[in-house]
Amino acid sequence: MFSYVLIALVGGAIGAVIALVVVAQRGRSALANVRAESELRISDLMRENADLQTQIEDAGHELHAFETELATSRASIAAQADTAQAAQAALGDVRAERDRWAALSKQISGETSRLRGLAHTFERWHEQMISLMTQNQEMHARNEELSAIVRHVVIVSLNASIEAARVGAAGRGFAVVAGEVRELAARSEALSRSYSDSLHRNDLTTTATFQDIQAGGKMITASLSSVESLANQFQSHPALH
Amino acid sequence: MATDLISARARASFERIFQRAAQSRLVRNAGDAVQIDAMQTLPEEDRSFDAVAAEVVVLTISSIAFRLVLLLRVQHDAATQAYYVGDAARTLRETFIEYGNLCCGAINQELIGHFPDLGMSTPYVLSARCVSYLDALKPAYQAMYAVTIDGTVPLQAMICVCANTPVDFMADMSAAVEESSGELEFF
Amino acid sequence: MANILVVDDSSTVRDEVAGFLRKNGMDVDTAVDGKDGLAKVRANPGVKLVISDVNMPNMDGLTMVEKIRGELGNKTVNVVMLTTESSPAMKDRGKAAGVKGWIVKPFKGEAVLEAFRKLAA
Repeated sequence: MFSYVLIALVGGAIGAVIALVVVAQRGRSALANVRAESELRISDLMRENADLQTQIEDAGHELHAFETELATSRASIAAQADTAQAAQAALGDVRAERDRWAALSKQISGETSRLRGLAHTFERWHEQMISLMTQNQEMHARNEELSAIVRHVVIVSLNASIEAARVGAAGRGFAVVAGEVRELAARSEALSRSYSDSLHRNDLTTTATFQDIQAGGKMITASLSSVESLANQFQSHPALH
Repeated sequence: MATDLISARARASFERIFQRAAQSRLVRNAGDAVQIDAMQTLPEEDRSFDAVAAEVVVLTISSIAFRLVLLLRVQHDAATQAYYVGDAARTLRETFIEYGNLCCGAINQELIGHFPDLGMSTPYVLSARCVSYLDALKPAYQAMYAVTIDGTVPLQAMICVCANTPVDFMADMSAAVEESSGELEFF
Repeated sequence: MANILVVDDSSTVRDEVAGFLRKNGMDVDTAVDGKDGLAKVRANPGVKLVISDVNMPNMDGLTMVEKIRGELGNKTVNVVMLTTESSPAMKDRGKAAGVKGWIVKPFKGEAVLEAFRKLAA
């Protein structure tokens, strides 16, 4: 019985030792596995770490590049802000100019509009011309009357001469007077004709002068209308508002 | 000298423009014969008692550089009365004034293409005796024509162009110009 | 009261134009110059169409139109100018005064009859 217990114990112990060895062996290989795995993991991690380092370096470079770009952008924005300000100022100037032009063109419109009142001036001139021509006609009429009177005087003096001749010697003095009257009448007639010629010359020059004034007035009014219409077009241009 | 102020081609142009105006506007019916003959001097105005009554219709066209005075002498004889008035209850004077107005208007319309600033007067009637004194206007250019309408109506036309600055332009020298008048231009 | 007014200082033109229109069945009155024309429009504000010359003594046609639109305040009457004037400047002035149309004399009756009828309706 003791031997059985001994064998059992030794067996047990051997078994335990075997188990232990097996376990140790398993443990050792497990450890080795673990170690191998760990080494793999470590080298993976070290690779990852190296990658990350590279990435961090790259990121660092990019960041630096971004910083440089940012600085450049900031400078460019600053420059553009200056340009915008300058453009704003220029626009302000242009607007002020435009307002001045709009005011000027309004003035031009106003002036040309006022000058349309020239129609009244022309009416006045026309009335004066009619009045002058009427006077001319009256002068013609009076001259005709004078002519008629002179012709009548000639007839009267002729009759007087005839009467004087009938009376004979006593009428000689009278005949002389009648003769002189006839001479005077002839001179009056000549003067009257000459006066008539002057009147006709005067009629022509007066008429031509006043027609020039009338036509010239219309020419001026027409030209002013053109200017006025241009000024109005200018003034109503959308760019001026 | 004043007479050099109007260039040769301007003179020819004035002449041609007048001819076209006379041919289109001095006739009562389009197409009636118009005979235009240049005259060197005007015949002495008949001042005798039985002289045929005559008048001149005077019109002026004014430009900046010159003025053109048109005188149209019309006789109050049977042929003229019959042609222009016919049976109408109007005087020859009134009727012919309008023809003169149209004739000068046609000259005006052509000249405005060359001289944008132009104005025309209203017509005025003077005694025919006035034509003896055209020199008093001191024209730089003067032209006189005997115009016979429809073979029976004897008219005289006198053109005086007065200027004190050079005048030069060239008109269309063709026989007739496009008629753009008479129709209603809507605005 | 007539619905057409013809204004011209020449009796020849008044007779010709008014006669032509009357022959075509229209009711026409006449005036001898701008002043007369203005007075007639004032007295007959219902007039539909005014046919007027430009060159007239006492008051020219364009001044008359300006006064019809201004002083009389009549913006409805149709106005057509019948004149020897053809300058663009004159036409511009007419346009500005409210003129509806422009005919350079001598007028072609048949060509303008329809237009006149419409404007006087």
